[in-house]
Amino acid sequence: MEKKIFSKRNITLFFLILAIILILPLFVHGYLLRMLALIFMWIGLTACWNIIAGYTGYIDFGSVGYFGIGSYVTAILMTKAKMAFLPSLVFSGIISASFAIPIGIPTLRLRGAYFGIATLAFAEAMKQVVLELDRVAHINFFGGSHGITLPIGPGNEFFYYVMFTLMFMVMAVTLWIERSRFGYSLKAIHEAENTAELVGVNTLFAKTTAYTISAFFLGMFGATEAYWVTYITPNDVFNIHVTIQMVIMTLLGGMGTVMGPIVGGSFLTIISEILWARFIYTYMILLGIIILIVIIFMPKGIVGTIRGLVIKKKVT
Amino acid sequence: MAFLEAKKVSKFFGALAAVSEIDFTLEKGEILGMIGPNGSGKTTLFNVIVGVYPPDRGKILFSGKDISGKKPHKICHLGITKTSQIVQPFTSMTVLENVMIGGMFGKGLTLSKAKEKAKEFIDFVGLSKYLDEPSGKITVASRRRLELARALATEPEIILLDENMAGLTPWEIDEVLELLRKVNKDMGITLFVVEHVMRAVMGISERIIVLNYGEKIAEGSPEEVAKDPAVIEAYLGEKYA
Repeated sequence: MEKKIFSKRNITLFFLILAIILILPLFVHGYLLRMLALIFMWIGLTACWNIIAGYTGYIDFGSVGYFGIGSYVTAILMTKAKMAFLPSLVFSGIISASFAIPIGIPTLRLRGAYFGIATLAFAEAMKQVVLELDRVAHINFFGGSHGITLPIGPGNEFFYYVMFTLMFMVMAVTLWIERSRFGYSLKAIHEAENTAELVGVNTLFAKTTAYTISAFFLGMFGATEAYWVTYITPNDVFNIHVTIQMVIMTLLGGMGTVMGPIVGGSFLTIISEILWARFIYTYMILLGIIILIVIIFMPKGIVGTIRGLVIKKKVT
Repeated sequence: MAFLEAKKVSKFFGALAAVSEIDFTLEKGEILGMIGPNGSGKTTLFNVIVGVYPPDRGKILFSGKDISGKKPHKICHLGITKTSQIVQPFTSMTVLENVMIGGMFGKGLTLSKAKEKAKEFIDFVGLSKYLDEPSGKITVASRRRLELARALATEPEIILLDENMAGLTPWEIDEVLELLRKVNKDMGITLFVVEHVMRAVMGISERIIVLNYGEKIAEGSPEEVAKDPAVIEAYLGEKYA
């Protein structure tokens, strides 16, 4: 079953879509452009979660921890060190990733729910540290619950392009994982970790690498979001809802697939925006019902279900 | 110097000695069998050899080098791998991809090279017609062959076979025995076989060790072992010894 991803038709389609996305800010402004940038961000975040949870099978409930670390690194570098945004962005990624290694090595030894609980604890602990350190240590660094106000950034066009670039990079990494030797090791770990180890897969190394890649991009998304909204508090950037949103989007789209995050991320962002605008008091209820329907009737996610239907059609 | 040697290896689960002070040697190119009643520590001993559990006491030497306490992937790279009692294919992957994993990570081949090699091993175990089938969809007998192909793909020097013939029909067992003889003779791979099917293990092994309650109670040729009173007692009770 050779998948022909790089066929002529697909490449043409890819460049067409790329061109449209790149010139779109010439025609689209304001709210709609902001909305698109938001969709790119959620697709990217979901793709990060998909790398560790979808491919490797380690359900991570602490992803927002790296998002928050990225946010704070950029906020601190830009306000305290007067660094420009782009270098701070890179630093955010690197520092998030360097947190992921010492956190990942012990927690990735845990299986199933225990890994979820440990990572959840990590993210919550990070939030408490940022929230309380200033008061406890009598310093003025994180700003406690007041948070940090960043310099006012450029307009929506800038964030549209940054979010798109980051999303593009994560998707490229996902596509590489899908087709590479490294990706096979992750899938083997997902399926039967003990067997993978017996036939020579260095499972701890592979898992930690996947986790670190995920954290690297999460940190950069956090950095960009911080600069975009210009004001961050621990409760915003370490909010568990960010992780849960990644989980739901991946489940909606389809775990362990390249298209899953794209479909799940854009679907949920658009649906919740529409519902929020129309039904301001009941939108959470409606959103919950839609998520329930998708999970019950499409347990493999939208991408998985469509793929199943296509295969069925081919057989009959 | 023995090819693989265990020196007074013990493994405890709490107070229970699952494996207790076991010595054995495995010579290059031989087929060694291991039998014993259920719960006698055979699988645990295998797991200790490949590094799933480090031994609590004692040492395991491979070509004279101490390998005890190394992780399974390291031991696989050194040349020892194991097939499991409960077949564990990577179910969502195809038969081909399953075997490729062995080549890529056990032997360190590139993706395309591993694919090429994997086809040879799949052909060898007779699964060529299932090449692109998801491995979750093939029969148990085929999955056992798949386990063997995947182990071979790591190009090991020693394969530990943990009840590779469980659940097979007598006719299928004969085929697997034939296959294992080829692995041993033609590929020169040393085999260490745990098996409950007496006909199989007695037929293929040159030498057999017998475990009971984690201890080695007998060692020798299949004929010697079958006559040994300690072995008869372990299997059938005191009355028959």
